[in-house]
Amino acid sequence: MSAILAAADAVTGSLGAVGYGLAAIGPGIGVGLIFGNGVQAMARQPEMTNVIRTNMFIGFALTEALALLGFVVPFVFP
Amino acid sequence: MDKDTRPGAGSGGSNPGVTITSLILSGMIFYGGVGWLVDRWVGTERVFLPIGVVLGLVAALYLVYVRFGRDQ
Amino acid sequence: MSADVVLAASEGGCHLFSGCGFPAPGAEIFIFDPMFSIGPFEVTKPALMAAVTALIVIAFFWAAFSKAKLVPGRIQALGEMGYLFVRDQIARPMVGKEGDKYVPYFMTLFFFIWMLNFMAFVPLIQLPVTSRVAFPALFALVSWVIYMTLTFKRNGLVGGFRNLAVPSGLPGWVYILLTPIELLSNIIIRPFTLTIRLFANMFAGHMLIAVFSIGAWYLVSPSIIGMASATASFTMAIVMTAFELIIQFLQAYIFTMLVASYIGQALEEAH
Repeated sequence: MSAILAAADAVTGSLGAVGYGLAAIGPGIGVGLIFGNGVQAMARQPEMTNVIRTNMFIGFALTEALALLGFVVPFVFP
Repeated sequence: MDKDTRPGAGSGGSNPGVTITSLILSGMIFYGGVGWLVDRWVGTERVFLPIGVVLGLVAALYLVYVRFGRDQ
Repeated sequence: MSADVVLAASEGGCHLFSGCGFPAPGAEIFIFDPMFSIGPFEVTKPALMAAVTALIVIAFFWAAFSKAKLVPGRIQALGEMGYLFVRDQIARPMVGKEGDKYVPYFMTLFFFIWMLNFMAFVPLIQLPVTSRVAFPALFALVSWVIYMTLTFKRNGLVGGFRNLAVPSGLPGWVYILLTPIELLSNIIIRPFTLTIRLFANMFAGHMLIAVFSIGAWYLVSPSIIGMASATASFTMAIVMTAFELIIQFLQAYIFTMLVASYIGQALEEAH
């Protein structure tokens, strides 16, 4: 146990990078869900492809915004 | 073959994924830069920079809606 | 620290439970000492591999197309497959009918980047040359010069800016707020994302294979848990190498396809 605590003390480096790594988990899952369900919907109803694709990109932009915010914040608050 | 018959191409510029990401990033960078300059002009320390970043994010999301989100 | 020093240190008998920490590979595995000098230039391994790869690509396509017959021989058939792939999957969908003029550039870009990436797989070389950031940066810079020149040559100075900057269908005053975003996105961010996408993929893949390989060597020790995890680590190294094979082709394809779509957007008529 003490070896684990001693090892945890020795972690140095950029906390911003760790923060971005944690912040990328949620949007990664979210973008996968969006495009997965979008592709499934396009397979079920191919005549609605354009409508589905439009909404897919709006959803992707909103979700990706959070990931990019996680990328920019370590530069804003170092 | 026609242009943009690839399944990944949407309306308004091919390869929408890269375009959307770069629009959001450049919106945040540009208006974050404007906020940083306002910070230097007013003399405060890191007050307008996050405001600029968030406003740039909103502006970029609106631009994405205009280019990709309308039924064209 | 350079790659040769790290290699020597990791081979020096440092294993699990023998008192030394894990010699983790950092970014120094990409730094190479010069191998020899030609005049005032010191030649390092990436530079040598870039020159050798260029010669290989040139030699292959020279052998394929220099004496082109109507009924193709074997190398010419392979070369034609490559040409048709680039023309039908990259140039024509992205640029349209005018794409045929740019297929030589796309072929150069695609096969050169693919072979540079593929150098990570060849034994005794094992360096994806594009993991040194200068190479993707140069490809992105040349492509940037090409599509900026085409934008302004096709549409004139004002039309060029309108092509790059202005979206359509907006109320008037919003243009002032949104045009800088479009300009920044099209002029500055595009070469950056091209460079970083190719560089980061190759850098991270090579680093993963290095970590698993050095880890497998480090874990070999006279203990059950050491041998078990060494086997697992070595298996992961093989799996990552196979994965990197796909990524090498895919990154070259994505780079070329994006450059083709930027050129296509530069050539389209103003909306």
